[in-house]
Amino acid sequence: MRYEHHMQLAMHRQGVVRRRDFLKGISAASIAAGTLSWTDLMSVHAGDLRKRGMACIVLWMQGGPSQFETFSPKPGHENGGETKAIQTSVPGIEIAEGLPHLAQVMDDLAIVRSMTTKEGNHQRASFLLHTGYAPTASVKHPTFGAIAAHQLPNPECDLPSFVRIGNQFRNSGGGGFLGAEFDAFGLPSAEQMPANTQPTTSSERFSRRLGLLGRLEADAANGSTAPFAADHRKLYDKASRMILSPAMKTFNIEDEPEAIRTAYGESDFATGCLMARRLVEAGVTFVEVSTGNWDTHNDNWPRTAELKAQIDQPFAQLLRDLKQRGLLETTLVVWMGEFGRTPRINPRGGRDHYPKAFNVALAGGGVRGGRVIGATDPSGAEVSDRPVAVTDLFQTFCRSLKIDAAHENMSPIGRPIKIVNGGSPVEELFA
Amino acid sequence: MMRYKCSAILRSAGWLVLGLAISSSAAITRSAALAGPLGAVEAARRVDRLLSKELPQDSLTASNSPAPPDLKSADVGEPQVDDETYLRRVTFDLVGELPSPEEVTQFVLDSSPNKRKQLVDRLLADEKFGENWGRYWRDAVLYRRSDDRALIASQSVEQYLKDEFNRGAHWDEIAREFIAAKGKLNEAGATALIASQWGEVPETAAEVSRIFLGVQIQCAQCHDHPTDRWKREQFHELAAFFARIAVRPVIDNGQRKGFELTSSDMRFKDRTPAQQAKIKANLKGKKNARLEHFMPDLQDPTAEGKLMEPVLFLTGQKMEPGASDDERRATLANWIASPENPWFAKAFVNRVWGELVGVGFYEPIDDLGPDRPCGAPKTLDFLARQFAEHDFDVKWLYRTIVGTQVYGAPSRPRSPNGDNVPTTACVQPLRADQLFNALTMVLEVEETQIGAAPDKTKGYRGPRTARALFQQVFGFDPSTPRDELAATIPQALLMMNQPGLNRALSAEGPTGRRPGTMLARLLEETENDEDVVVDLYLRCFAREPKPNELKTCLDYVREVGNRTEAFEDVLWSLVNSTEFLYR
Repeated sequence: MRYEHHMQLAMHRQGVVRRRDFLKGISAASIAAGTLSWTDLMSVHAGDLRKRGMACIVLWMQGGPSQFETFSPKPGHENGGETKAIQTSVPGIEIAEGLPHLAQVMDDLAIVRSMTTKEGNHQRASFLLHTGYAPTASVKHPTFGAIAAHQLPNPECDLPSFVRIGNQFRNSGGGGFLGAEFDAFGLPSAEQMPANTQPTTSSERFSRRLGLLGRLEADAANGSTAPFAADHRKLYDKASRMILSPAMKTFNIEDEPEAIRTAYGESDFATGCLMARRLVEAGVTFVEVSTGNWDTHNDNWPRTAELKAQIDQPFAQLLRDLKQRGLLETTLVVWMGEFGRTPRINPRGGRDHYPKAFNVALAGGGVRGGRVIGATDPSGAEVSDRPVAVTDLFQTFCRSLKIDAAHENMSPIGRPIKIVNGGSPVEELFA
Repeated sequence: MMRYKCSAILRSAGWLVLGLAISSSAAITRSAALAGPLGAVEAARRVDRLLSKELPQDSLTASNSPAPPDLKSADVGEPQVDDETYLRRVTFDLVGELPSPEEVTQFVLDSSPNKRKQLVDRLLADEKFGENWGRYWRDAVLYRRSDDRALIASQSVEQYLKDEFNRGAHWDEIAREFIAAKGKLNEAGATALIASQWGEVPETAAEVSRIFLGVQIQCAQCHDHPTDRWKREQFHELAAFFARIAVRPVIDNGQRKGFELTSSDMRFKDRTPAQQAKIKANLKGKKNARLEHFMPDLQDPTAEGKLMEPVLFLTGQKMEPGASDDERRATLANWIASPENPWFAKAFVNRVWGELVGVGFYEPIDDLGPDRPCGAPKTLDFLARQFAEHDFDVKWLYRTIVGTQVYGAPSRPRSPNGDNVPTTACVQPLRADQLFNALTMVLEVEETQIGAAPDKTKGYRGPRTARALFQQVFGFDPSTPRDELAATIPQALLMMNQPGLNRALSAEGPTGRRPGTMLARLLEETENDEDVVVDLYLRCFAREPKPNELKTCLDYVREVGNRTEAFEDVLWSLVNSTEFLYR
């Protein structure tokens, strides 16, 4: 007679319910429990341990960094503007001024000066450089971090496999057709713990709540959603294991000794780089650290000078730190943006979008440092040697991370999609 | 589903002879045999009867359990869910919300034999109906965006569709507006579909075909379709209808004021010298490229390609080249949104059936072939023809589907073997907006009170509200087959630990200007613990607790020894349980 009773309570509280005859009580149809169809997300490739221990850190320069002001200066040509070149630790390799720390770690750094694509729109190019595919409505291509998390999961690690640090991501893709469980775990700022990872109650009471949840889920075992309960349970186990795990301390940047924090420098990007190292050390497969404002349509020189000052020390220190900890051989570090900038300087002292010839930098993960791949002509307008397409770049990532680039994933409409469609690795980087 | 494949192909071929214009007189003769538009009750009865013939073993589990009194007039005896389950299901489906505890009680105690029908009438008249399905279509269109700037149209498309559905707009009217849309993205919501592809011509054609025809013709963009019979040329002929669309910044007083979807059919010679110079520089002499669509030459990507004339691949209907953008899109819109075009009705019926019943006649719900297996082709034909007879009256279709016995059948788990049929009423995960609505109702809070800490940065989607946070974490592309969706860690973390949500779940009394929480009020007003548990179950699941559930909760309250804390934990557990996330 609970409904009648409830009705009286409701009348008492709201005064709106008319008394009716009691019809019938609950008689929940008992549903035969079937097997689960949902992806058993926690055990995807569980057998495929991250034996090879490969990891990747992408330093994402949103906006499109100028190649002339970073790793491909043209001091002798009018297109080079006022930017001077500086010597590096590797004789014969010069990079743009304003990157003194990176010049010192040139032994570990390789530059590709002949990147070339056709996408000059931020949105489309960001997607292309994150997925290896142009955006399309019919197939949601997964971002490379999702592919790495899918191909190189680390079940030993309680932390998410794919973490994005910072908020300078535009149209960078997610899990795509691999599913939302391969989306990046977002860390808007490396200075703060990730959202919702701290129980709002004491951990004792949190555990008590989880216990009650488990009991009530068991009580509902013949309800219509019961078949989903096993997955739900695994998800909650995984999420609560994560937040109660000692590995969560990885996110606490305050634990890092002052000397190391100082060595990385003081910008948000610096903290992001340090956090990336902490995460990789803790077993995370793929970390992307973003910084923005490279879209220098005006005031190119003062703006790039400031941006270079933000990235130079942390990027260089990241390589030193990884090397010192023995992680550089197994960690591919990639520095890139969505395109480069025009050789011609516009009337506002800026450079516009230029996908035809730009640069990326790579280190670690088997990449031999101290070398330059490809070249542009003296004006910087055309690739004159060894053009590298996006597919070649992604083949190179796969080669480094020991991912089979020809592996086919199935898209929802049943079309097999290769991890990378065409291209070949830049072998000279590994020789 | 394989065993239906042959009949599906025959059926589809019957509808349509490809490469030839469809015989419109044939389509009319066939529908004439149906004796005109049927009312929703009669149509639902016919659907059940057709399904019981097409899928006898699957749909009718040979049960003799009596139907509820209000459904005794039905022809077939599909077991029906109890009132609570029906109420929760249909309320989520039509208005995107949970029924309140009082509504559950009233509905169960209501002895009117027509109460389910009355309920459906009330829900369809509620403005939340338009809001719920406006949000659904916002996601269906914008999840496929290739440019995040399309999110500028997020709020305008939601508002536009909300108003349209609520005023009783018919699906052909809406389709015509989407296909022929123009105007500012943040004002003219119908621009969202084309804006989602940022005016890219082939992508726009592909999306129009997928959304309104259920045909995935984009696979034919680079080669003849591998599994369907579409030819590469047919894809590019469709694209030719969109050759003159453009998404451009709106410049007002030298300032950029958003973006607009517009036409770009001004002739080269009519442009200013400055524009001509820019076009020349951009196009390197191919001055027609802005006005007509060219099928790229696969052997020579730098060549101009082949000039395409606008032709609708389904019917062979053709336009003269040189037509203006307005003419092209209005013509295509009329050809697509036509009762003579069976794909148009079928695509919508299939999608709505798939969302309401849980399994479409075709799966995925936006891939109708023609060479795809159909779960129950005669039933789909009947419903699609009736929908066309009703001039694509959206509410008629909803009323009919939720009135079927199949809709009211107990949910079953989705089979992992892909052999689900359109009579399998399946459990569906709630969409982000449904879940968020449910939380605000359960906790009796305003949207802003669940809160994410307000974020001052403003994305394309608009201010980052608590609803936006839920959309971001729980949102999914509604065209994705449900068995390919998986729950994520951030979802679990949000439900478990989000500080604003936890405050709303607590029994915190009034402090300062903040009123006390729902639980605080409930505990104060209700002395008996059992009554509290019943209220919480009604509130969260729209049903009473079963005896074992009641016992678990009461035992827990006793074990903890602190009534307030214990009930906070109970409410937390209910909201975090599987049942809360599905319908």
